[in-house]
Amino acid sequence: MEREELDITAQLARLELSDEEKKRFEQAVFQMLEYFSKMREFDVEGLPPTAQMTQTNRTRKDAVIVNKETEAILGNAPELEDRFIVIPNVL
Amino acid sequence: MHKTEEPSSWSRTLADPTQRASWMQFVRDQDARVRAFLQFDPELGRELATAAGSTPSDSTPTGSLSGIPFAIKDNIAVRDFKLTCGSKLLKDFISPYTATAVQKLLERGAVPVGKTNLDEFGMGSSTENSGFGMTYNPWDLERVPGGSSGGSAAAVAAGLVPFALGSDTGGSVRQPAAFCGVYGLKPTYGAVSRFGLVAYASSLEVIGVIARQISMIREVFSVIRGQDPRDHSSVPYDEARSAEGGGRITVGVPDLGSISLHEEVQSAWEKTLDGLKGLEVTLKPIELPTLEYLVSAYYVIACAEASANLARFDGVRYGNRTAGFSGNPEQLVRWSRSSGLGDEVKLRILLGTYVLRSGFQDQYYLRAQRIRTAIRREFEGAFSGVDLILMPVYPCGPFKWGSEGLDPFSQKLSDIFTCSANMAGLPALSFPASVENALPIGMQFLGPPFAEERLLQACELFARVFPVPTCPLYRSPQTEGPRGSEGSRAQSGGQERG
Repeated sequence: MEREELDITAQLARLELSDEEKKRFEQAVFQMLEYFSKMREFDVEGLPPTAQMTQTNRTRKDAVIVNKETEAILGNAPELEDRFIVIPNVL
Repeated sequence: MHKTEEPSSWSRTLADPTQRASWMQFVRDQDARVRAFLQFDPELGRELATAAGSTPSDSTPTGSLSGIPFAIKDNIAVRDFKLTCGSKLLKDFISPYTATAVQKLLERGAVPVGKTNLDEFGMGSSTENSGFGMTYNPWDLERVPGGSSGGSAAAVAAGLVPFALGSDTGGSVRQPAAFCGVYGLKPTYGAVSRFGLVAYASSLEVIGVIARQISMIREVFSVIRGQDPRDHSSVPYDEARSAEGGGRITVGVPDLGSISLHEEVQSAWEKTLDGLKGLEVTLKPIELPTLEYLVSAYYVIACAEASANLARFDGVRYGNRTAGFSGNPEQLVRWSRSSGLGDEVKLRILLGTYVLRSGFQDQYYLRAQRIRTAIRREFEGAFSGVDLILMPVYPCGPFKWGSEGLDPFSQKLSDIFTCSANMAGLPALSFPASVENALPIGMQFLGPPFAEERLLQACELFARVFPVPTCPLYRSPQTEGPRGSEGSRAQSGGQERG
């Protein structure tokens, strides 16, 4: 994989790669993409894609479910101010 | 041996304070070498069991699992326990809730005693990809226990717990079970609720069971299965289809074609076929020509789904943030992910992001999904003529850890026999088939959807010619100390690691 392609992909994946990592991943990603190209030999003509396994779409009632785990959920936040999660300034 | 492994002896282990203390000490001593657990806290588990309405110390047990300790792979949620997924990004995360599968076991009186090590987010085949150090194979501490549910398999094989839960996305329950000489069930897709399982590849993964006794697998599976309103991919368990069959079994034996097996697996494969013939099982050759395209299609799908599922780990609402961070929110997300995630996870996210990029989807993701249809149809065709299909679990036996082992690329190619069941959504059960050069080798049966009972019966049948082997470090709750001289050999192997 070209370095530029890797940079675009990392950007989309929201990963910051060091130069040393880029070197390593370039090779590992290339090796896997090469391997993926084996799929080209396979004739997929007329085969519909399998996107999910259960083949059904189940819906639920549009009803309020009270969540009793709020405190435990907030307890996992990296930084809190009262009941607000702190993030760096957006502007 | 069987007598001491009955669930009732385990339930006494936990109920009696003296036995409990001695068992906890035993687990801590054993685990100093095996390192199966990331967190071991039976008292916390007992509190949860009490809160679930079951009292482990009660002298009138409500079910056969009452008071039985079990371990849970650390990508499955248990309230108040940590839920690290083997990732530094989640090293301090405490689960606010309990997975449905665990909750069902709690309601039957089983007691969660700890969380087991895994390859980060389930990505790997050796448990070497954990952010918190590796786990060692109790058969030989210089070897890996397999993965990604390596901690669960090692804990069961060493006799620390009678059963453990794992997750299987491409073989992560069956391969470590095979490497550790125990049974590992990957249920039918959708049969067990995944509420509380941290998502990696949603169209492939299921929660599975690892145990030394087939009866224990059956019991646990009967409790955890069933549709769950909180998991919309779960399905009602088809009892009618489950009961089909009976009588003489016909087992399909695929032509492995160009796929080469290591010597020890080849030998075990031949012994398994001979053993089955002796049991008056009918063996019938079958062909699965799509098998050789399967691993590439599997990794395209798994990585694509992983890149989407793991986008949620951004260090904003939970998870580790880069220390002393002062930037903008976008950078916070990038830095948290980059410092918190390990190499294998980053690689799969990159691959998944790449194959889903506009312009590449037809070539990779869509094509992989079409190949998936082909393998599903191939299995459907095969099952019209046979009851079960026999396959090896892995092309080699338990390999050494570190540079003497199997490189990450070879590990991926070796998923060929296990990932087929995930691609087709089929149940599969790996079983100990032989011990070669003092290491266990596993084989697996695959069945049509909801044929778990058929798989269990076939393994019970095979256990007549090859019963579950005992690893050198194993000790049942009623016996003292590791057995024989092999125990001290394995022990000395453990001293050398860093």
